[in-house]
Amino acid sequence: MKEHDPESVDKWEVQLRKGCLELAILAALWDGKLYGLEILRRLESASDLIVSEGTVYPLLSRLKAMGLVESEWVESDAGHPRKYYALTPAGKQRGREMAAMWTRFSASMSRLLAPLGKGKKESHVGR
Amino acid sequence: MSEDDSQRIEAYLSKVRRSLRGMKDQDVREIIDELRSHVLDKAPAGLDTALASLGSPEELARQYVTDDLLARAEVSRSPLRILDSLFRWASLSAAGFFVLLGSIGGYFLGAASILCALLKPFFPRNTGLWVIPDGAGDSEISLRLGLSGAPPDGRELLGWWIIPIGLTVGCALVILTTRFALWCVRQYRRSRVPVHV
Repeated sequence: MKEHDPESVDKWEVQLRKGCLELAILAALWDGKLYGLEILRRLESASDLIVSEGTVYPLLSRLKAMGLVESEWVESDAGHPRKYYALTPAGKQRGREMAAMWTRFSASMSRLLAPLGKGKKESHVGR
Repeated sequence: MSEDDSQRIEAYLSKVRRSLRGMKDQDVREIIDELRSHVLDKAPAGLDTALASLGSPEELARQYVTDDLLARAEVSRSPLRILDSLFRWASLSAAGFFVLLGSIGGYFLGAASILCALLKPFFPRNTGLWVIPDGAGDSEISLRLGLSGAPPDGRELLGWWIIPIGLTVGCALVILTTRFALWCVRQYRRSRVPVHV
């Protein structure tokens, strides 16, 4: 019998997080415009999605190219301008659709997974 | 901020800028300005950490360049532009290399079929599709474009039908290859959202 490989679970988790990242950024921008560092902080504080800083900027650039976010430079008290991102109507629409899909999917998965949370004692396979 | 810190930031950004070759100047300026703004925000807590968190300048630039060329390929319908983007993608990843190989094969066969159809009226005796026996009981199928003489023992398969068939098959191959390349590009773009956990 093949042994359980913890690495395969880690890889699965990475794939799962990858799939959520676009929705997470759209959700982070839902309440208003933010600049890159604020988006990173929002993701870290509101979820456990820890995105590399070298990843979020190219990704924001990609979302902008897809027309889901727009950007503008705003002068700041820090003495340098910051690039703020905001959702476009297409980004809001996409966010709503993805959130609705996520809610349906997570609810159905939760129902399916409910028996797994009851512990090993109760889990058995009838033969 | 000290002069030394400013120089280190600009040295990092220069490396990113150099690796963003091929992108539009305006896009490059936006990227560099945004990264500078990010580093300046984080520098008070430690410049070393701020620069290290962004990763190597080459890898950071590579993400932008790959996205840019894939985005350009995705909206393009020109085989030349698609091949140009695929060449750059191939230089960045194995996936790009294999897609490039498949696309070159498809476009080459498509172009050869169309060319054969177009040359047939001008070189009717030595342009077409031949079946050539190899003497060992097998035979070889050869597409001739009028550049060499007709094979002496060969039998021409399609005659003048090579014109409509060559044009149809050639155009279909070009269209299918374009769709294949664009499909691969879309799949790759969707799959490449790296996240560190």
